[in-house]
Amino acid sequence: MTSTALPTATPADKPVRYASFWAGAWRRFRRNRLAIFGLVFVVFIIAIAVLAPVLTPYPYDKINPIQALMPPSIEHPLGTDNLGRDLLSRIMFGARPMLIVGISVNILALLVGVPLGLIAGYAGGVVDWIVSRFIDMFSALPWYLIVLFLVMVLSPSIQNMIVALAVTSWVGSARLVRGMTFSIREQDFIEATQALGLPTPRVLALHVLPQIAPLLLWSFAASIPGIVFAEAGLSFLGMGVRPPTPSWGQMLQEAAGYWQYWPHIFLVPGLMIALTVLAFQGLADGLREALDVNVNV
Amino acid sequence: MISYTVKRLFGILVTLLLLSILTFALTRLVPGTPWGANAQIPLSAEQEAIFRQRYGLDRPVIEQYLVWLRNAVLLDFGRPFTAPELSVTELIGKALPYSVIVGGIACLFALAIGVILGMVAAAARNSWLDNLVTSYAVIIAAVPSFVLAYILAYFFAAQWRLLPSGGWGGPQHLVLPVIAYGLPVTGGVARWTRQCLVDTMSSDYVRTAYAKGLRQVAVIARHVLRNALIPMITSFLPLFPGMMTGSIFIEVVFGLPGLGRYFVQSSSNRDYPLVLGITIFWAVLIMLTYFITDVLYGIIDPRVRITERK
Repeated sequence: MTSTALPTATPADKPVRYASFWAGAWRRFRRNRLAIFGLVFVVFIIAIAVLAPVLTPYPYDKINPIQALMPPSIEHPLGTDNLGRDLLSRIMFGARPMLIVGISVNILALLVGVPLGLIAGYAGGVVDWIVSRFIDMFSALPWYLIVLFLVMVLSPSIQNMIVALAVTSWVGSARLVRGMTFSIREQDFIEATQALGLPTPRVLALHVLPQIAPLLLWSFAASIPGIVFAEAGLSFLGMGVRPPTPSWGQMLQEAAGYWQYWPHIFLVPGLMIALTVLAFQGLADGLREALDVNVNV
Repeated sequence: MISYTVKRLFGILVTLLLLSILTFALTRLVPGTPWGANAQIPLSAEQEAIFRQRYGLDRPVIEQYLVWLRNAVLLDFGRPFTAPELSVTELIGKALPYSVIVGGIACLFALAIGVILGMVAAAARNSWLDNLVTSYAVIIAAVPSFVLAYILAYFFAAQWRLLPSGGWGGPQHLVLPVIAYGLPVTGGVARWTRQCLVDTMSSDYVRTAYAKGLRQVAVIARHVLRNALIPMITSFLPLFPGMMTGSIFIEVVFGLPGLGRYFVQSSSNRDYPLVLGITIFWAVLIMLTYFITDVLYGIIDPRVRITERK
């Protein structure tokens, strides 16, 4: 979303309203208030994560037992945890694993799901049946079943959590791409490419894939909330980000023994998870309207 | 209808077989058991060899799988590494009721609240009430159940001392887990109910029903509800096994002795027979519900039988 390349204001006397598909998309996107909140909050979170070492008032792992479990104060705007560590600093650093996991899982899932979906949807027949059974297998099960199983086998760490989540996440993009490819295959211009004798990989890459691009952009934003939940849940169970590295789920796990003393030690990471999920959902909803993506959710 | 049913059943069996091969292969390909010098249960090399032999881990992997598969079909998933006094099947039988009770009641709670909210929103379409319900639905669905669990426990158990904060006993032990688990689900249920009702209400045959002079009550009861219920039932039925199996986080927070907690425990203990058994058991349960839903869908809605899946 680089706004510099897009016309932000269109003079009323101009006959051509939309310069391009993307300019029109941006105009539609702007109308959705939740989408704008989403965009602003996502940029905010990314800024916090990137600038965490500069912005944080304390090192995230600086222990100070005298100041343990303090309520919010001027020195510690969000209070301190059970070891006296500054919660604001930990929240800011905690945005990093969330974003790293969200982005890398999405990229891995697209790398697997898009080619599989394209091939299954375009080839049909036996290939499609086999891919569909794999899709069935992964989508019939709750994600945490497969992910916990894989994390157990691979041993808990952020890398293995990414691998395990990617194993379950490719299904979504594969199913989307398969469905779209199915309907695109029936269109006239695909028949034309076949009549011209273009090789299939070329047809898929240059003629089918560009049609799916808006869908993929939407699905990138739409799948982040699920991954955020998964990262938080796994880290909460001690199967994800390992201490002392903070992540919001891991902070909740550490808060587990102290929930009865102060609400802020679980409210703040919980609120951050909820706001991030809302922001990405708003962003995804806005993108769906703006890009005119048809998905039966 | 019969060929459709058989085709679906065959697909489910293939999927289950695939899943069992993959999960079994994973547990056998990765080195490491709960035993050994640096593992959870420290044993010498000779003792470890005895254990490996007892659990058949010294045989070829394919033979191990076939033996496991034969036993699994007869509902025998072997004995857990870490608690060999009970079989995996007995352990599942012991822990399952807790998960079924908490998940089932939470699901009923979520459906009751969610459907009512969705109906209110659909009836008051595009009003402030509709906006309020929709905002609630979006926001509540963004809160992880285990965060909500702590918030509820902090106020109701620690501050006001109205309810127990964990454990198992009378109905008062169920209140907080059910609310914490069910409330986030109400969001999705309300939105889907509203969508189904609004879609149906704006369809042509409903307009026709009004045009021919039917009273609103008759239109809603005879035309709207009957058609809107189809997508609702098919989406809400799989919620039950989903929530019965998905109560891991709630069980951990409230210390309930359900299946989810066993799964987490056995995962961190590398107890392969138990994890494998629970995974397959859950998969069967969930896929069976999807199958029943599909067949039910075919019975309720004749259009499905004819068009099937493209």
